[in-house]
This record gives sequence, structure tokens and C-alpha cells, in this order.
Amino acid sequence: MRLAPAAVLLPAILAFCVLPPVAWAQESTAPDVLISRQLAESEGLTVGTVIRLATDASGAHAREFRIAGIYEPTPDPARLGQVPRSVRLHLPDLLEMTRPVDVPAGAEYVSSVNVALTNPADAQQFASDVNARLPGVLALPAGEATGSAGPFRVLERFHLAIAIITIVAATVFLLALTIMLVDERRETVGVLRLIGLPVRRILTQILLEGLIVAGTGAVFGLVLAALSEQLINQFFQWRYDTALIFVRVTKDVALTCVMIAVPLGASATVVASWALLRRGGLRLARR
Amino acid sequence: MNALGFAWRSLVRQPARAALGVLGVAAVGALLFDMLLLSRGLIVSMQDLLDRGGWDVRVSAGDLPGSGLRLPHAIATAESIAQLPSVQGALIVRTASAQVDRASATPLHVSFQGVATRSTDPAGSRLRAPWTILRGRDAEGPNEIVVDERLASQTGTGPGGEIIVRATCVADLEALPATRLTIAGIAEFPFQTTSDSTVGGTLAALAAACGGNIGDEADLILVTSRGDADGTAASIRAEHPDVRAATNSEVVGRLQQTGFTYFQQISSVLTTVTVSFAVLLITVLLTVSVNQRLGEVAALRALGFSRMRVVKDVLCESALIVGTGGLLSLPLGWAMASGLDRILKGMPGIPAALHFFVFESRALVVHVALLVATAVIAALYPMRIVSRLPIAATLRDEVIG
Repeated sequence: MRLAPAAVLLPAILAFCVLPPVAWAQESTAPDVLISRQLAESEGLTVGTVIRLATDASGAHAREFRIAGIYEPTPDPARLGQVPRSVRLHLPDLLEMTRPVDVPAGAEYVSSVNVALTNPADAQQFASDVNARLPGVLALPAGEATGSAGPFRVLERFHLAIAIITIVAATVFLLALTIMLVDERRETVGVLRLIGLPVRRILTQILLEGLIVAGTGAVFGLVLAALSEQLINQFFQWRYDTALIFVRVTKDVALTCVMIAVPLGASATVVASWALLRRGGLRLARR
Repeated sequence: MNALGFAWRSLVRQPARAALGVLGVAAVGALLFDMLLLSRGLIVSMQDLLDRGGWDVRVSAGDLPGSGLRLPHAIATAESIAQLPSVQGALIVRTASAQVDRASATPLHVSFQGVATRSTDPAGSRLRAPWTILRGRDAEGPNEIVVDERLASQTGTGPGGEIIVRATCVADLEALPATRLTIAGIAEFPFQTTSDSTVGGTLAALAAACGGNIGDEADLILVTSRGDADGTAASIRAEHPDVRAATNSEVVGRLQQTGFTYFQQISSVLTTVTVSFAVLLITVLLTVSVNQRLGEVAALRALGFSRMRVVKDVLCESALIVGTGGLLSLPLGWAMASGLDRILKGMPGIPAALHFFVFESRALVVHVALLVATAVIAALYPMRIVSRLPIAATLRDEVIG
């Protein structure tokens, strides 16, 4: 459950200036902060270092903090490409640093409040109650507050469209290939017809062959995908310095691929053979 | 008959397989063309959007305009920038969230842009606001605004009409009185998203809507130089080290390093996959086709066709399949690009005028170059087969077989 001011939700972006470390002391009384791995790496900071943070680029009114830990930021697909150089402070410390001089302590506003309910199923009802009782506050169940999911739903549709185009192109090529391959076996099929095999029997054989070839191709494709999965993830994780997973070959994905590839391959074989089988055995066997 | 004519006859002799080969190349080529349009589409489109307004330097508090940070002491900063010798004019842009009341429906959430020009140059003081007037005229007075088409239609008003606006300039929890503003015109806002509505006016109009509680901050200061954008940006940075001044190209460069990189990566990956796929399949098509005609090729060699000539025949066959498919791929790719662009523009926060797939002549040149390379590479193996074909042995096998 997330509560936010009713007006347009602008993320509260605070520019912090990390000044050079001043000391390394486990005995320091400075408040604790966590820093992101990327920030630690870029500035050469370690746990225990005392740093100074300021909200102004000039470093005015800087306060000392002790790095209590280094964390791996939760991968945020919406911030792909941006190196997360971030610091996590306790809320009172943050408010102390960012409070305007004319605002008394306790009168600050925050961008959102996360609420854990005893019964998560009550989220919708709780949100309705809050919206009715607190004008100016917008309460949303957590599932509806994930605005960053929007771009990825769009990307999913985009990838699906690309996949459909690829399948159409592959099908056309497959038909061309199967027509050629079937044509290559024209004489064999003619002989089979002449020795008395019915068209249905030959078609069944062709269908089985098509299934075996398409099945083998699908398995080969899945093995290739599984092998390249690691490679692609490693490349993009390195490229964007993120722990995000870009490619994941799940059971559902694998099953969908097989469900499309095998019937498509087998159908292409049968369709390509059908025109050939309509001709007479003598005509097929004729050189 | 030359090699091209001979290859053409070879293809039309088996129209079904030739047509399928061409269609396959057209589909793959269309995808390739789209990926090339996508690779730089956002950059070209964003550069065009930024340049369209005529402002060539953007001054903001964050690395990128629109980062959410605000410039303090905006009016003094803009006046100081306007006095730089290389500056023609500066425009203060302040954005606030607002609500437009409707008589019988829920209020509409809109973005309110307030602008004010600062210039020491008569030409600079006439610089226009960052929107384009479609109907009516620009907002001038403190009680006038321009609105976009969507808002005009949702409120059922137009130039001369009035709407009630409640704007919040400082904190989201302010409860401000309603302000009645007159619509002077209907405008198009270049960075407006497909799902939002925008209101524009003078900084005084925004101040009036916010009950005077506007502060002295700006989201952005747009600057027009006298010609040297880079020099102007450098002068502003030197004069005001606490702000970020970037030319339009620098803004695009920064975006290229962050938000746009995903599409360049996916475009590169899909271009590689598509070209490899096309090479593999055309190689298989040509190889199978040549293998079926080995006897025919051997007979031609026996009749006096040179080795080079039969190799040329195969190359021409490949060129005809890829060339015809490549030609078809252009209109097909353009149609597909429109559909894919519509899908991607469904992303929240994307300006309606921004396009992911943008035509550039260099994309066409790369497309043609890749297809030529595909035709040549795909023909290499079948060309090798026909060039090394033993004439007598092949003819004997053909007869005995």
C-alpha cells in the first residue's frame, strides 16, 4: 500500500554532493548511511569511512556520516543506463538536511508512505478508506502504484511484434525450403505411389519426418537460447552496470517456442508436399 | 543471353520457390530496415524536437532538463544570462501541476507552463514561447492562457472561453483558490506526452493561478544565442558555475548515454541476427537449388559456358532474389515501422511528437550495403560448388542415375 499527495506525483529528487572522505573511524559518532556499490566503486569508499554529505554542490552545510554498509541497488528497469550513485539515510537525517529554514521540524512533507497491512487482501478497501478520510492524499494498492512497469509492458508488446515478424519471415523461408526438398524427392515419391502406397500413407510419413525435423530444430534452438542466455545477460549487465536479468528462458517461453515451431515446421512440410502428391505416380517418377 | 537474363529465366522457371525466396527476403529485409531506422530514430527525433523551438542552449539545475531540480534565483539568473554578449534572449520556464475544474465531471490534471522572456536585444524580446499556436493567439496578459487540443475538447472550450484552474506551485498539499483564466489560443506543446494535457501562459499568469505563491525558481531557462551555441553554453557555465548549460546536441548526447541506449543495443542485436538469418537461409536456398541443377550446369559447361559464366549466373540469381526482396522490403518495412512506432509510443512519459523510427538516408545506404553483402556472402558456397563441378563425372552420374 502506498500513500502519496493527491497532486501529480513527481519523484522527490535530491541532489547530494559527496565530499571527500574525512576519516576512517569505527568509533565515529556520525549517523550511519548506506551507499550503493556503484558509488563506493567510483569514489573508492569503504565501510567505516566517514564522509560528508551536502545538499548543495558547493558543499555548504555539509554533515558527516559514517558508511555502515554498501548495498547493491534493487535493479530498476526504468533507470536503465543510469549508474545508481545513491546514498540511503535515516529519514530524520534526510529531513534535517533538506528542511527549508522557514519550515519547523515535523512540518515537512514526504513523497510517499509505504504501509504494510495485517491482511494484504484489504489493500483496496484500506486505500478507499484513506482516500475518503484524508482529502489531498492519494492511497493506492502497491500493485497499482508500480508506474515503472508501464514501459516494460510496452516493451513486451514490442518484442512480441518483432517475434511475430520473425516467425512470418521464417515461415516463408521454411516453405521455400520444404518445396525444394520435397521436389528433390519427387522421383522417390513417384515410385512409392507406383508400388501402391496410398497418398494418405505417404503424407503420414512426410508429416512424421516434418515433426522429427521440426522437433530437432526446436530443441537445437532451445539449447542455443539457453547457451546464449548467460552470454547476453553478462554482456548487458556489464554494459549497464546492473543486476537486472535481460533474458530468461523460462519453461513457459520454451514451451511456447516448441508449440509454435513444431506444428509450423510439420505443416510447412505437408503443405509443400500436398501439391506434389496431387500429381500422378507416373508423372512424378518420369525422368 | 547475359548472366542476369539467364538467372532471371532460372528463377521464373520455378515461380513458387522464387516467389517464396523473394518474400522471405522482403520480410527479413523489412525487419532489418526497421532496426536501422530504430538505431538512431530517437536521437534524430529528439534533436529535431529540441531544434524546432529555436532555443539552442538549455540551462537547468540537473544534468538533464526535466530532472525535477529547480534553478534558484531564476529571474536574476535569466537577466544575467540575457546580458551576455553572445545571447539574444532567455526564456524562463516554470512548470506547475494544476487541476482544471469541470462542471459535471471530475477535474482534469494538467501541467501549467509559465514563461517570461528576458533580453537586451529587440529581436530577443520577440522570441516566442516553447509552443506553437494552432488557433487564436498567444497568451499575453496575466489572466490569459493557451491550452492544447485535448484539454480544449475535454472542457468543451476554445479561444475566448474560460476555464477554472487550481495550480500548486510550491508544495503538493497546498489548497489554493480557484482562478478563472481566459483561453487566448489553442497550442501544440512539443514535449507533451500522449496522455497528458498542458496549459501555457506568462509567468504572471502562472503566479496568478498559484495565488502569487510562486517563489523565484525555474525548471529551465531556454536561451537563444547569436549563432555560437557552444560558445554561449561555455559563457553561461563560466558566469554561473552552479547551473548546467547544455546545447541541444549536448542534451541529445547525454540522453544517448542513458535513456536511448537500450534501443540502440536492441537494434544492433536484431540487425546482426537478421542479417545472419538472411545469409543462412539464402545460402541454403541457393545451395539446394544449385544441387538440383548440377546436371544442367555440367551440360552448360560442356556446351562451352565458362566457369566464370556459371559462377556469375549463381551470383546473379542471388542478386535477383535479394534485390527484388530488398526493394519490396522498403515499403513493407516503412509500414511495419509505423505499427511498431505506435506500440512504443504507448510508453508513459514519451512526448507525442517523438518518434522511435525515423527515416534517414544513411539508414537506407546501410540497408542497401547490408543486402549487397548478404547477396554476395550467401552466393559464395553455391558459387564454389558450380566452379569446382567436374563436368564429365557429373554428366555420367546424371545419365546413370
